[in-house]
This record gives sequence, structure tokens and C-alpha cells, in this order.
Amino acid sequence: MTRVVVLDSRAHRELRIQARAAAELGDDQRFVPVVVGEFPLLVVHYPVLLSKDADTGAFYCGAMLGFDPGENLFLGEDGHDAYRPLNLQRGPFYTAGSDLAIDLDNPRVGAGMGEALFDHAGAPTPYLQSIMALMRDLQPGLARTKVFLQTLLELKIVEPMTIDAVFDDGTRREVTDLYTIDKDAFRALPDTAVVELFRRGYLQLIYLLIASLKQVPVLAQRKNRRFLHGSGGGSAASLL
Amino acid sequence: MPHPIQTVAIVGGGTAGWLTAGIIAARHQGRIKAGTFNVVLIESPKIAIIGVGEGTWPTLRASLEKMGVSETEFFRHCNAAFKQGAKFARWTTGADDDAYYHPLMLPQGFTQLNLAPHWLNQGRGLTFSDYVCPQGPLCDDGLAPKMITTPEYHAVANYAYHLDAAKFAPFLQKHCTGKLGVRHVLADVKSVNLTEQGDIASVSTEQAGDIPADLWVDCTGFAALLIGKALGVPFKDCGDVLFCDAALAVQIPYDAPDAPMASHTLSTAQSAGWIWDIGLPARRGIGYVYSTRHSSEEAARATLSRYIGDAHKDLTVRRIPIRSGYRHTFWKNNCAAVGLAAGFLEPLESSAIVLVELSAKLLAEQMPANREVMDIVAARFNDVTEYRWGRIIDFLKLHYVLTQRTDSAFWVDNVDPATIPDRLQNLLKLWKYQSPWFFDEFDRLEEVFPAASYQYVLYGMGFRTEVDPLDNVRTESAAKRLFNDNALVTQKLRAQLPKNRELLRKIAEHGLQPI
Repeated sequence: MTRVVVLDSRAHRELRIQARAAAELGDDQRFVPVVVGEFPLLVVHYPVLLSKDADTGAFYCGAMLGFDPGENLFLGEDGHDAYRPLNLQRGPFYTAGSDLAIDLDNPRVGAGMGEALFDHAGAPTPYLQSIMALMRDLQPGLARTKVFLQTLLELKIVEPMTIDAVFDDGTRREVTDLYTIDKDAFRALPDTAVVELFRRGYLQLIYLLIASLKQVPVLAQRKNRRFLHGSGGGSAASLL
Repeated sequence: MPHPIQTVAIVGGGTAGWLTAGIIAARHQGRIKAGTFNVVLIESPKIAIIGVGEGTWPTLRASLEKMGVSETEFFRHCNAAFKQGAKFARWTTGADDDAYYHPLMLPQGFTQLNLAPHWLNQGRGLTFSDYVCPQGPLCDDGLAPKMITTPEYHAVANYAYHLDAAKFAPFLQKHCTGKLGVRHVLADVKSVNLTEQGDIASVSTEQAGDIPADLWVDCTGFAALLIGKALGVPFKDCGDVLFCDAALAVQIPYDAPDAPMASHTLSTAQSAGWIWDIGLPARRGIGYVYSTRHSSEEAARATLSRYIGDAHKDLTVRRIPIRSGYRHTFWKNNCAAVGLAAGFLEPLESSAIVLVELSAKLLAEQMPANREVMDIVAARFNDVTEYRWGRIIDFLKLHYVLTQRTDSAFWVDNVDPATIPDRLQNLLKLWKYQSPWFFDEFDRLEEVFPAASYQYVLYGMGFRTEVDPLDNVRTESAAKRLFNDNALVTQKLRAQLPKNRELLRKIAEHGLQPI
């Protein structure tokens, strides 16, 4: 359940937020929605792919963090072992118009441990200021990402893909409902469309999406290493 | 020099006219864009379209997609909804619990194995359709045949549409004129001008003068202005086989905007015909198709009122005459008839629009290069089209001849062998000993009703084919696997698919993705 309310310096003066990355706090996500501004930071760690929102069917961009539902292969005892996507960093925060809102039912929210939001005078702490800055990136980023995706769809350069991976423990995963750049259709674009993509900064983003596919085997290796060390490899453990 | 075919003129602007224009124009875009081929549609500004035929076949998906229509736009503008088949109630015994489905999905593994003999031998207490296909339970649950994440025109469970024909024609018109380069002339045809050879040279119109063309398509509906009036092709009545000759149609609102809506056509047999019940997003379309030889209009109105219930007493009932039959020739000289001008049958299996699609596709694909080869194409067109009409009549009659009802003269008269086409009688004899399947004579390319449809109706209505259990042994394990597959798929889809109403609401709000 969620209980989202507008953040209030009086009502929420005493709240504490557990900002660290942990599965039990909601970082157990296989596929995290991302925005175009993050692409350069993401593609050095993750495959960045397209998928559809189960509720609306709308396309969105996401970083792939694992193969199984709830599997984030970057989570360890020391937290998130790479650039952490904004949508994970944001924790329990939302925006409501120009206001910052918070989900009081989020497991990160409590009174005891974690980061304070306001100081004694009721002013935002550096932590809350960092969240506000993050939201300033994320909010317009979502709109820009939507326009970017719309452009890809209009140009018909998106194609479905299935990731089929076999792991060292002999198990196999087929990850479906993913989409990426249709390279043949992309190469066949007329010059005018290519120039337009370049001018809008989209050409760079498209190449980043294509390059990020190389992270799929790297991600699979990351999963294999877990089997090797016997930590967090649920399926391997059950097989052995 | 042979006379090239460069201009196709379609007369009539209903569903048939615009679908034909769209299918031909989409197929010949290259030449249309280069200016060497033209499609013109001449429509009377005065004549209202009939607008029957709210049910379609899954073929319409491919037809619309090929025309470059967005399925999302189609749903939004045509008050369209999903159709996963038809449920026939009270056709066999007339009892309250008498019903079966004719779903649009083929039986499991239909291309590899015929499950019918296995069901006949050991049906495990299931209906035939539940034994071989998940779609009956999906319809019972009021589920949609796909999800919001399923791309346009793709299906999870095979589907066609229910649509508002009065909105469909203008929607197609906009697409054809805006995107496909079809020229639209609003004019009343005063006279049809023939050459010495009997070809149509031009039509003289009130508003736009003389319009010449090389090939004509008569989509003028019951008027049959070209094929009937100008070229004198007679009409072949088949009222002796199919008795229904009138329909009373009514549109009723839902009790609430979010009321559940069925994703199948409900067809309920009555004492002198049957009632269709079709759910569109904004309203239900209901109509009583009956035989005037077996019921007065007054009695028919009373039957319809009983079906609808007291809540909707004051609605306008529209009476539509049905003259079952078709033209002796569908393509004569340089004129082909498509739609109601070609013929009409009761809408029991939604055959009207699919016949338009098939005829238009044949025209588009076989577009004669010149007048010299046109007669060869015309002969083919006539052969295939006459075959199709014959098979549809057989298939419609099949629904009547399998009845066990004796409660009214309508049903008793329907099983009189004198009213059953010879071909159908022979098939019924044959089917006592072998069930219809692939190697049957339904082997024509683009058969309107495949053998699977015959299976659904035959076994849905309690027909028994004698099966030697020894003959099943060979395929026993494969059949068992398909049966289990079907049970699993049914279970999975029931859990996965959204409610029909819910998905239509989401399509209106978010749209479907093209991929």
C-alpha cells in the first residue's frame, strides 16, 4: 500500500529516511525505469532497454539489474555496487505538482534510523536538498525520455528482443517484453532523419542504447559469480 | 494496344464501398502515387447507408493493417469492441441451459492432429469447445483477447471486432481519401452509359457530369445500380433454404457506463428465428432476425420486447428487410459487385463484411492489366465467389438442421430435407462416420469457414460422429498432450487477461502500441 502526502516541515520534522540500498528497503528490482540524462552513467554498468508499462502499455526506458523477478545483482553488503539509478535513489519521494511528496508507508520511512529531513529550525537537511536536486533532474527527465521514445517509435526503429541466458548452474532464463533499437531500420533512415536525430541529441542516446547491449553478458557473468561464491544464488542453491 | 485498366470507379459509399476502395488503393499505392492508377469512389450525398453487420471476422485485422489503419484509432472512432466468437443459446433443444460456443481460435494442434475423434471417444464431460480451445471460458469470464501491452493487431486469443457500421464507413473514408489517395466524388448517378459490347463506359451524374472508368465496382447495396439495373444480372433467391427474411433492430444503452460487456456475440434462438446481442463500448445492438412466414411482425416485436425487458420499452425499433440470396454473376463485363449489391444473408455468422474483404482482396490482387485479360479474371472471380456464397449458405443452414426443437413450425420446417442443399446433406451423411478436418473438401485457399468452424457447430449441437476407438490409438498420446496443453493455456489466460470493458477503456485512454 502507499500513502503519499505532500511533505511538510512541521508534520514531518521528526521523520527519518533509510537511504541506503538494501533489498528489504525496495532495491530488489530487476528492471528500473531511467531517464535519458542518466544514459552515460548507466551504460557502463547495465543494459539499457525499452519495456512497456503493464498498466498503460506505454513504452519506458529501464536499466536491467538482474534476470529473475526481484533480482538486483548489484546489491551487496556494502550497498549498490555501481551508479544507482535516480529511481532507486529517490527512495520514498514523489512530486506532487511543484511540491515534494512522500509515501509514509514506504519501508524506508520511520522515526528512528536514517537521514533526517529537517534540522531543528525546520530547514531542509543536505540529504533532503539532494533529494530535491534529484527530483529536479528526474521530473523533466521523464518528459524528455517520453519524447525521445516517441521519436524512436515514429521512426519505426524499435524492435522486440528476448534475452536468453544459460548460466553456469545449467539453468536458463528467458527475459521477454524487452525492446531495443532495430539496427537495420536505424541504418536505413534517410539523411534528413539522421541529421534531425543528431541535432536533437538523440543520435548519441541511440548509440548508447545499442552499446549497452554488450552489458548483457557482463550481467550474466555477475550472476554466475554469485553461483561461484554461493551468495544470493537462490536457484543454484536449490539445485545443489 | 490493349486497353489498360487505369481507373477503378467504386459506386456507393457504405462499408463495402470504402473497404473495397481502401483494399484496392493500399495494394496499388505505387502506381497511385506515380499517377498511373486511380481509385475513385462515387457516393450519393442523399442515400443513407444501411449500416448492418456489426460483427466481423478476424480477417478484418489483416485488412485494416494492410490499409495502414491504426487499430487504436479504429477502436476510438468506430465504437469498436472485441469479438472472440459467438455463443449460440437455445439452438439445440431450446432449454435454458442449451448453449455452445463457436470460438475464433482453432482447436489445439489443429494443423497436426484432429482432436474431434478423441473428444467423441472420451470427452471427459467437457463440451467440445472447452476440450479443444480456451476461448469459451475466456468469454464466460468477460475477458479481453489481449492485453494493453500486446501490440496493435496482435492477439493473445484470436479475435475479430464488433463495430458501429455507421461510424466505420466515415472512418474508412477519411483514411482512404487522406492517406491512400482515393478520390471521393459526391454525386448522384443519373444513368449508366454502356458501350456496344455492353461494358460500362461512364456514369452520368447530377452534380459531377460524366465520370468514365475502366473497371467498375458496384457497392450500391440492395439497389444494385450497376450489376442489377444497368447490366441486368438476375438475383438468385435462397429463401427456400434460409427462411429468415426480416430483422427488427434496436440499440440499447448500458445500465452503467462501466457495466460488464461480453467479448462474444450472443445469438439466442427464438420461436421463428434468433436474436443477436452485440456489445459495443457505448451501447448494445440487439436484433430479432425472423421468418415472416412463421411470425407476424407484431409477434416478433413482442418477442424482441420480452428479450430486452421492461427497462427499455420506448426505444426505436428499425425494421430491415432481408432477401437471402446472391447474384447469378458477380463480375459481368467490366463491373464487379461487392457487398449487398452482390447478395445478402442473415447475419448469423457475420459473413457480410468478410465477403466484402475477400472480394475486394481478390479484385486488388488480380487487378487485370487490361480489358483483354479482364474476362479471364472475371471468370475466376465468379467461380470463387459463387463457391463462397454456396459454402456460407451451407454453413448457416447447418445451424438449423441440427436442431432438436419441435416447438414451432419454423424449426420443424428447417429440418425438412427439401430445404437442405444436396451438398450439405451429403456432408452430414459423411460426417456420421468421419469428422470434418484438413483433408476435407474445405481446402480452398481462404475458405470462409474452415473445417474447425464445422466442428464447433456440429459437436456444439450434439452431432455424433461414429468413432472406432482403435482408430484413435495411434494418436492417443499426442491428443492427451494437446488436451493438457489446452487446460494449461486456459488456466494461464484466465489469470492473465484483463476484463473486456477494462481493456477497451485503456485503449481509449492510452492506446495500443504499434509494436
